[in-house]
Amino acid sequence: MRLRVFFWLAVAIILAVVIFPILWIYLASFKTHADIYALGVMKVFVFSPTLANYEELFTGTTFFLEIRNTAIIAVASTALVMVVSLPAAYGFARWNTGGGMLLFTTISTRMFPPAVAAIPFFFAFKALGLLDTHIGLTLLYLYFNMSFATFLLFGFFREIPRELEDAAMVDGYGRFVIFRKIIFPLVGPGAAITAVFCLVWAWNEFFFASIFTRITARVISPALPIWVGAGKINWGPMMAAVGLSILPTLVAAWFMQRYIVRGLTFGAVKG
Amino acid sequence: MTVHIDEAETGVVQFQRRRTFWEVMTSEKYFKWTLAIPLLLVLAIFMFYPMFYCLYHSFQESLIAQPSFFIGWENYRAALHDPLLWNALGNTFHILVMCIAAELVIGMAIALLFNREFRGQNSMRGLILLPLLVSPLAMSLTWSLLLQLDAGLVNQILVAIGIPKVHWFSKDFGIYSVALITIWQWFPFSVFVLLAGLKSLPRDTFEAAKVDGASSWYTFRRLTLPMLLPLMMIIILLRVMWLIRLYDPIYGTMKYTTEAETLDLFINRIAFSYFDIGLGSTLALLSLFITIIISAILFRYLMKALGAIK
Repeated sequence: MRLRVFFWLAVAIILAVVIFPILWIYLASFKTHADIYALGVMKVFVFSPTLANYEELFTGTTFFLEIRNTAIIAVASTALVMVVSLPAAYGFARWNTGGGMLLFTTISTRMFPPAVAAIPFFFAFKALGLLDTHIGLTLLYLYFNMSFATFLLFGFFREIPRELEDAAMVDGYGRFVIFRKIIFPLVGPGAAITAVFCLVWAWNEFFFASIFTRITARVISPALPIWVGAGKINWGPMMAAVGLSILPTLVAAWFMQRYIVRGLTFGAVKG
Repeated sequence: MTVHIDEAETGVVQFQRRRTFWEVMTSEKYFKWTLAIPLLLVLAIFMFYPMFYCLYHSFQESLIAQPSFFIGWENYRAALHDPLLWNALGNTFHILVMCIAAELVIGMAIALLFNREFRGQNSMRGLILLPLLVSPLAMSLTWSLLLQLDAGLVNQILVAIGIPKVHWFSKDFGIYSVALITIWQWFPFSVFVLLAGLKSLPRDTFEAAKVDGASSWYTFRRLTLPMLLPLMMIIILLRVMWLIRLYDPIYGTMKYTTEAETLDLFINRIAFSYFDIGLGSTLALLSLFITIIISAILFRYLMKALGAIK
């Protein structure tokens, strides 16, 4: 009995530690500046809610433009990643294209210092007029997510038995038809999981976004710290922006819970 | 493949239909390379071009709006003699060790706690996994509110229970706060990787140990830990991979404090605040060198776990 009490107490503490900071975002977004700075632990929950922060966010900034830009760039880059990664991962899983070296090169780009790509592309994009455009950031996110997607899909493709293809070969189907009609539907769920991960990472990405977008194509992540001014931080609207911008990723995390471990370990651990 | 002549053998001239481009591309021999074409293109543009660009500029004195010129190994010498580089490397390493150690210990403890059937375990799992996919920048901004000196909730609680306030984002304490934020966001990862490992352990071995009268600590140390070692290795390597690139949490909480800089913050300051492209490229390449070694080890472990190599 005491063990059970201890168990549920531990669970409650863990849950509180995890959930409270997220809950805090939404609490703070409904508080006035004075309430945020109010002293006394009880003041955390006892305050008169206000919508002023959201009003300031919606009327005073380009929040909706930024959300729209983020969505466009995340979706476009994820689509491109799929075009590149699906066939490549299939090739790696079936024929070990390039004898492991190519797959290693691909995965190692995930660990590349972002500056290695950011420095040359900043000047290349400047010359091509791609700075602060949707296309520019989409291309960078293609690079950013491609290695991860290829490796994760590689794991999914490996689970499809080779016999299926052999049978189709015997029936006289060509390689491309087999890929399109037999392999692709089977890897569909895996591809969907991979795509959601790419979407989330494109949504959250900050470093490239802060360098390669300024006004017209600015995405949401570089727009969050703008409330940090010299000497004064405007917490209310910032928490409103943070709260709204993380909503899609919270939803994704909730629905992807069975696959998060698998995705984050590049398919190595099936949670 | 063009006209195929087999005159010598058969004495007849055989004409084979010229294969279309599409047929060649999807033939058994070339299809695997056809599949890799988009990937190879992306790699050529986004990997090899930047690498050569950085390599070239690392030997140049290259500041923005000035003609660049060759200076040999001068950038490398300057980089390695820069105390701020060693400070940044030290901070990165420091945070890395703290985070991984804490995440493994916390993760193991909670995984052992959760390794049973209990009511509401699925919703629990969902709630605890939430931080993993949330933007680290957004969370670090939230934490900088929670860890504020006077009005921050954490300090208020500390004061209420009689502990003096902590200067969370001071020069010296900053990296610990950053580590704390990062641990908060990532401990669920270790929990659920290790939990997946615990659930897949062979049951009879543990029953046999119980029958033999082994204590639970002995079982844990001699059976559970060694069996989970490959998974812990994967956690460590993946975390190294992410932590070595740590950028957002520090930017979100203390971007103006060079004392708490990590490797990437330092490189980006040189390259994009000072626009010293030569030195920036050099630093990026040095950082690349470190990460390639780590990714080679990580790659072997991942392939082993996927069963792709023995």
